[in-house]
Amino acid sequence: MSVSATNISDRMAATGTANALELRGVSKMFGALEALGDIDMTVKPGERRAVLGSNGAGKTTLFNCITGDFPPTTGSIRFFGEDVTGFPAQERIRRGLRRTYQISLLFTGLSVIDNIYLACRGVSRGRFSLLRPRRNDALMQSAEDLVRVVHLDDVRDTMVSDLSYGQQRQLEIAMALSGAPRFILFDEPAAGLSPTERRELVDILTGLPGHVGFIIIEHDMDVALRVSDRVTMMHNGRIFKEGKPAEIEEDPEVQALYLGGGHG
Amino acid sequence: MVAIDSPRTTTTDMRRRIASVPPVYWVLGILLLIIPAFASDFVMFQIMGWTFILGLIALSLMFLGGYGGMVSLAQMAFAGFAGYMVAIFGDSAISGISQGWPWWIVIPLALFLTVIFATAVGWLAVRTEGIYTIMITLAIAAAFFYFTRQNYELFNGFQGFNSVLPPELFGIDWRGPEAFYYLTMFWAVTGFGAVLYVSRAPFGLALQGVRDNPRRMAALGYNVTAHRVAAYAFAAVIAGIGGILLTWQSAQISPGTVGIQSAIDILVIAVIGGLRHPIGAFIGAFIFVLLKTFAVDVLIALGLGGERFQLLIGMGFLIIVFFSPDGLLGLWEKLKASRRRDPLTGGQR
Amino acid sequence: MRLFATRHPVWAAIIAVAAAILLWMIFAVWPDGLEDVIGRKKVFLNALFNGITLGGLYFLVASGFTLIFGLMRNVNLAHGSLYLLGGYVGYFAAEATGYWLLAFPVAFVVVGFFGILLQVLVFRRMEGEDLRQTLVTIGISIVVADLMLWGFGGDFYNITPPQWLSGPMDTFFVTAVKSSGEPVFMKYPMVRIVIFAASVVVGVAMWLALNKTRIGMMIRAGVDDRDMLSATGARIQIVFVGVFAFGAGLAGIAGVVGGTFQSIAPGEDIRFLLASLVVVIVGGMGSIPGAALGALLIGLAEQFGSVYFPTYAVVLTFLIMVVVLAFRPQGLLGRA
Repeated sequence: MSVSATNISDRMAATGTANALELRGVSKMFGALEALGDIDMTVKPGERRAVLGSNGAGKTTLFNCITGDFPPTTGSIRFFGEDVTGFPAQERIRRGLRRTYQISLLFTGLSVIDNIYLACRGVSRGRFSLLRPRRNDALMQSAEDLVRVVHLDDVRDTMVSDLSYGQQRQLEIAMALSGAPRFILFDEPAAGLSPTERRELVDILTGLPGHVGFIIIEHDMDVALRVSDRVTMMHNGRIFKEGKPAEIEEDPEVQALYLGGGHG
Repeated sequence: MVAIDSPRTTTTDMRRRIASVPPVYWVLGILLLIIPAFASDFVMFQIMGWTFILGLIALSLMFLGGYGGMVSLAQMAFAGFAGYMVAIFGDSAISGISQGWPWWIVIPLALFLTVIFATAVGWLAVRTEGIYTIMITLAIAAAFFYFTRQNYELFNGFQGFNSVLPPELFGIDWRGPEAFYYLTMFWAVTGFGAVLYVSRAPFGLALQGVRDNPRRMAALGYNVTAHRVAAYAFAAVIAGIGGILLTWQSAQISPGTVGIQSAIDILVIAVIGGLRHPIGAFIGAFIFVLLKTFAVDVLIALGLGGERFQLLIGMGFLIIVFFSPDGLLGLWEKLKASRRRDPLTGGQR
Repeated sequence: MRLFATRHPVWAAIIAVAAAILLWMIFAVWPDGLEDVIGRKKVFLNALFNGITLGGLYFLVASGFTLIFGLMRNVNLAHGSLYLLGGYVGYFAAEATGYWLLAFPVAFVVVGFFGILLQVLVFRRMEGEDLRQTLVTIGISIVVADLMLWGFGGDFYNITPPQWLSGPMDTFFVTAVKSSGEPVFMKYPMVRIVIFAASVVVGVAMWLALNKTRIGMMIRAGVDDRDMLSATGARIQIVFVGVFAFGAGLAGIAGVVGGTFQSIAPGEDIRFLLASLVVVIVGGMGSIPGAALGALLIGLAEQFGSVYFPTYAVVLTFLIMVVVLAFRPQGLLGRA
């Protein structure tokens, strides 16, 4: 493992009960438009959080602030006790933060195992190595394991361009799981999936190792409520409700605003 | 394939690897080894030798274009640069410039300088969108051409260098047809094998990742610019070797070798063969060499003047790009796929 | 420009000082000491004027190139061949009719029509395959170049301008002062000044068309985001054909200009293709003002180079290109 990872686990041990993610007073303005307003959010290590809300509620903007695509206008973001508000995306990735994208960004000319291998290689040394990995290469092993975790064993050597949409989304998750992440942001992983594929997605998400926490943005309430421990509802760039999945589902305000009085 | 799931003994592993090499390569390999037995000097030196050389240079373009998504028109400039360095630091008829250093200094030095040159060019060319690469590398190749033509102190201007010969190692005249054939074949096979091997090493895989999705690669922690520049450096070694062999073949190097025409010829060769697989570079080179050698007769037979060679090449190139942009290899793939398909149901047989 | 000055005060100051020095050198009478060092003012002024007018020619060629690339992402490496074709067509049109002015519209129409054929028959089938389109342009340039060589031979063709344009024109720039105290004014070929003025008019007209008309707005939107443009329902194919035809026509007109300034011969296609490449690399891709700036810089560099550093004149222009690539890869006026 690389030097920085050792520091991270040291840090993890040192911070002890530090929250995985802590947002305080985070807001984001695009000119005069308030995309995010006064967000206070705490996610514990290993917690599974769902962020729900209608289109334009600010969910993706929230993700982009957390990953470092752009800095928040005000407020602070702490990742496992460390203030990462000013850090570039690269630094947050090195500290164990991962993200999936709404539009799969995969390597279409390479196979499934190649894609995952590249993702694993990215945060470790030897990226310029001219030598093929040896038989007992640890990185190769992790890549193989990840193929199994996302149920893509039978298409291991298939080119990404030949995969179905659902399989590509599964691969996307595998990419996010590479390199021992501590926290993942899933951006609408269920979009465009068939019911069977959605069930598989729920299996994969609930089957993730216990120490890996995540936030999932979803429109599909079924998937979101089934995989999460806690739900945050956003509206117009602000958080307006937070609670356990069952509570949120039955809350009349949520129903009126988001579900339209019924749940389908 | 990088398949490592259970420990095996070395012998079964080797046997598996040998079995996985397509039979075509075995046939080709044996054929290449025994050709000197029945071929004429002309075929060995001029046709096969030139095929291996041009194939090497086109291979460097294929590496950058096929695996890296960067179509560089500067590969011939790099090849010529290496040839010039050998002429300048080694022996030639221009005793005023040539340093006359021993070959075991000159050749590594020439390749090293070529890599430096290519790294600089790569750095200039890769920090913009991929589509600019063709333009920028073409302009740089042109700049190099004009420079070699104008500069007399180092490059001896219009005339260039002649009598640039390979060293007499082991008492062999390496410009003799058979020796030269084996020399160029050795380097062609080595280059081919190296590119194929590296394509599945982290270096090659990362390059392909950068080709397919630079944004994702950056998000995964890769330095996209560094990988692209490193690819130029790697390709320069291959192009440099080809350039040195080219200089030895004609025993001379001049601005004409690195002109715009030659630069475009290499692109034509790589595209005709196919950018998807390293063998395409050599297929394209073979066809180009055949055309160049026999086209004059064909043209005269067709009633056109013998000088209309460019027209022939251009039309051939246009036809290939029009109907099979993946070159002849792409055509071959399509044929194989259609034969496998059941004409009634469209499914695989 | 004011924004530039506030953001980059040091650069703005340097440019202002350089501009002041240049203006002084142009308008003032040179002291003897200066002439000993640099050479005669007449030579300097000639190089300056030649550079500017050559820049006008380069602008005509490069603007077509950058327009085609900017909108359709097609690196048209056959642009030089279009230039040469325009030159030959213009020559024969002028010879046949005896009217030099007629050469321009004829060249524009013929080469523009050829451009329409190319876009409709060839490039439209390769929509979105940028590399493939570029490869096709390479093939076309090889074929067309050889056909022209076959048809017109290797001779140099000069298009002679009409009587009323030939000969030198008096300008108000002072080159020296005679011992009697009378100033000597510079004479400069009228045809070059007229053509330069025309290229400025063309440039301004293009800028106006792009920025003030609806079609221009569509084209600019397409340069920014091609997919978005087609999503608006605009008849994008017609826009593409129009732009390609116009860009080709511009190259054709440039060919007539080049044939008048210098000459038309095989090899000029490569030369002007390279010039277009360097100009748009320096000026910025897809930018008409960038093409103007780049053309001016390269024209001046070439002329001053050939006067003051004759051996390495051409290398000087490529050197400028390399410097721009190193420090501002998107070009001087290109978008980052």
